[in-house]
Amino acid sequence: MTTTPSWLYYLFGFLMLVVAAYSVVLLVSSVATRRPLGWDVDISHLLMGLSMSGMFVTKWAFGASNVWELIFTVLLIWFLVRSILSMHRWGLHLSHFLIHAVMNFAMLLMYRFPVSAPMGAVAMSARGSRPDPGLSFVLAFILFASAIFTLASPNKGASRHGTHAPAYALEGAGSGAAPSHPAGSSTPVMSIETLLATPRLEDASHVAMCVAMGFLLILML
Amino acid sequence: MSITETRVSGCPAAPAGSTGSPKVLTRPPPDLQRTFQLALATVWLLDAILQLQPFMFTPGSNGFSGMLHGLAGGNPSWIAHTITWNASIVDHHPVSTDAPFALIQFLIGFGIVSTRTLKPALALSIVWSLAVWWFGEGLGRVFSGGATPFGGGPGAVLFYALLAILLWPRSGSDQPFVAARAVGVKGAKVIWVAVWALLALLSVVGSGRSPRALHDLVAGMNSREPGWLTRIDVSSGSFFLHHGTSAAVVLAVICPIVAAGVFLPPRFARATVVLAVVVFSVIWVAVQNFGGILAGGATDPNAGVLVIMLALTYWPLTNDRATADNGAWDPALAAREVQPS
Repeated sequence: MTTTPSWLYYLFGFLMLVVAAYSVVLLVSSVATRRPLGWDVDISHLLMGLSMSGMFVTKWAFGASNVWELIFTVLLIWFLVRSILSMHRWGLHLSHFLIHAVMNFAMLLMYRFPVSAPMGAVAMSARGSRPDPGLSFVLAFILFASAIFTLASPNKGASRHGTHAPAYALEGAGSGAAPSHPAGSSTPVMSIETLLATPRLEDASHVAMCVAMGFLLILML
Repeated sequence: MSITETRVSGCPAAPAGSTGSPKVLTRPPPDLQRTFQLALATVWLLDAILQLQPFMFTPGSNGFSGMLHGLAGGNPSWIAHTITWNASIVDHHPVSTDAPFALIQFLIGFGIVSTRTLKPALALSIVWSLAVWWFGEGLGRVFSGGATPFGGGPGAVLFYALLAILLWPRSGSDQPFVAARAVGVKGAKVIWVAVWALLALLSVVGSGRSPRALHDLVAGMNSREPGWLTRIDVSSGSFFLHHGTSAAVVLAVICPIVAAGVFLPPRFARATVVLAVVVFSVIWVAVQNFGGILAGGATDPNAGVLVIMLALTYWPLTNDRATADNGAWDPALAAREVQPS
């Protein structure tokens, strides 16, 4: 008999909802300020957050698996293409789009091997069908490494903007400050953005996403 | 908003923007000690998550406490008593013990990330590692004669503590190798020789040279492993059954060769580090099965990967010109080599 505490899964599920909500804030501020930086990462985090909260707490799950698979396949292709374009433009380097591609691939993997019982994450470790554990482990380790190295990086906000984005070039490199706004454009949305759209918070949401996803992948072993 | 030209070291320049003078962002030279610290933090984070697996919260013989109970056997009675005492507590309170265990490992992992909490986190990791070595690994089976390096002896968690010492933050150069930065060249050499001498000894004492014991080491791990790893296990189990003693002796011979590497000129020292990495990569995969992580229910990735990390901290970063005529490291010469001209 396993006595996995349900509060643990509720904790991670709630954390994923917070990340999803934060991604909505970033998206809204991006649209309102017409600064379309990192919107694809925000959409990806929003969808992954909603999806994973349902994996941790089954009663929070919604949407057909096929739809989620389609969404994460599209996002995977999107980030792969952006990685290739980034390397084409800036030369061979570890583009930040790659880690988002890895995350979407991991989501796809988790949907390809569905939960067999309405027990959320508990069931994922106990079912008969499972992907190659080696793949799950490698993906989880990459995500943990991404979490640690993102937190330690002096390039705050690079997890959302990438190191080549203008926002990073002007403000992000180690400053930890919020992106600046066009002169004289002070609106409530701007105030919210100043408060919440800080590179450190952006990185924190990425780290939370990596740790939670890595946990789910480990549960698949 | 204007876009100024940006160039990050190692990358081509960004397109010039509309206004402003070029702004050049240069990265500092890579701090390899920091990189290793973060790699260690990643392993701690992995361990923290592994501690949250359902198996860890499961009481009884099929759970974490059952695994701890099993480690008591073969140890002197007073040591065995402390291990079973701890296992009983975990058995009766799986959630209230396991959750703090995971939390401590999260604190170590994320603590290493911040330079402000790095030293306390490394200190905590040393204390925690020693506690886990005693209560969670049964002192690595050293006293029961089963601490063969093939199985992770003298205890994977000891290497966490050792790496914490060798990666203790200290300003200075990563030369002649990263491990020397924290404890000095002489100190690092002493540690290196001691580690490999111990590994050589453990290879051939107790059940370490027993073909049956080595075979059982592998055979007992393949219940839920993926098919490809099970096939490797079958091969390595069969190999041990027929050549177990020879394999132990070969490992015992390799260890002193690796130990001697730190006294050799860089080109030979690199060869011995490569030898160590290759040997322990094979052991980590074919014998330790990545610590049994792929079968579920593992608490850590076992010693193989940590020995590899340890070996890499001794990778010579100077070339042959930075050694004295007698072939030993000359730190002063090495330091001059890295100074900007």
